[in-house]
Amino acid sequence: MSLLSSILIGLVMGMVFGIALEKSRVFEAGMIVGQMQLRNFTMLKVFLTAVATGAVVLAAMHGLGLIKLAPKATFYTADVVGGLILGAGIALAGACPGTVLAQIGVGYRDALFTLVGGLAGAMAFSYLEPTLRPMLLTGGPGKLTFVELTGISYEVLALGFAAVLVVALVALERWRPWKSDLGTDVDGDFGPTEQAAGARGAHLKAAE
Amino acid sequence: MNACSLRQKAWSPYVAGVLIGLLQIPAFLLISTALGASSSYVTVGGYLAAVVDPAVSQIDYVGKHMALTGKNWWQVALVVGIALGAFLSMKLSGASRKPVSPIWSRALGTPSPVVRYAVAFLAGFIMLFGARLADGCTSGHGISGMAQLAVSSTIAVAFMFVGGIATAVLVLRRI
Repeated sequence: MSLLSSILIGLVMGMVFGIALEKSRVFEAGMIVGQMQLRNFTMLKVFLTAVATGAVVLAAMHGLGLIKLAPKATFYTADVVGGLILGAGIALAGACPGTVLAQIGVGYRDALFTLVGGLAGAMAFSYLEPTLRPMLLTGGPGKLTFVELTGISYEVLALGFAAVLVVALVALERWRPWKSDLGTDVDGDFGPTEQAAGARGAHLKAAE
Repeated sequence: MNACSLRQKAWSPYVAGVLIGLLQIPAFLLISTALGASSSYVTVGGYLAAVVDPAVSQIDYVGKHMALTGKNWWQVALVVGIALGAFLSMKLSGASRKPVSPIWSRALGTPSPVVRYAVAFLAGFIMLFGARLADGCTSGHGISGMAQLAVSSTIAVAFMFVGGIATAVLVLRRI
């Protein structure tokens, strides 16, 4: 695949990704912070559905011998510490590294600061990488997956995992219908009723 | 009907999730890689840093990301496409939004945009530092790594939620 065609494919795929992010509202800060405060479950639904779908299509393509999987190497400390820092950043950004761009696309100004901060953070890590590598990013069990840990084939394990996720999603949807998490407007603010009620209360009090 | 028309303001999270998951097909078949986003920050950041520090590309990690490979630039194009797609989707549905999400004045306890911009910069910084240390973000570790049943990704995603929930509950105010 040439560089130019890779870029064109990336643009088209990104546009599909961006449309899905905007239509589902999952790129909204309200949805991300709401998920992390366990008061909105849109993010978990999109995320787990994407994982389940990915597992099914990867199992099919891998089973047909069309692709080679590329799991990331395991470095326990880096995965734990990096994951914790990443999560803290996601909560304060109200975005993930990919969804920041969707926020910029719809005109959120703070997302530009998140992006610039992200570029700075990525470069800060890059400058430290030669120092961190011998401490955190060497050794370890390598590209470990649950296929090696269980001895079950990737196809069976991936389809089983997808089935478990579907059951979990059905349960989640019964407990929390997706429409109730959307909010009244398009801006991902799912809490206005509560706030409006509070404001009305304050107004009444002031009038008394 | 038309559960996923582009004119619609909202799609179900399941339609969106399936669509995102299906993107693994062209990613693996055409680019021989999995969906991801955070590496592109090193690619673009490397070129920006090179303006003031031309030696930056001599750091192996940066040089590898700055190389003119299909994989590196596919991911940069992907994140640019995300911005275009979200813009297009918003325009086609006639949705419009304020310059800053209304939740931030509640989450941060102040309506000041300057405070929000400062928090956003810091958040972006630690988000990408963490993502690069863990070697992936919500896309690369989350969507792709978990679908590939990787142990690294399962650990990173679990701790991403631990860090995210702890921060959203302890640092931010209830939105």
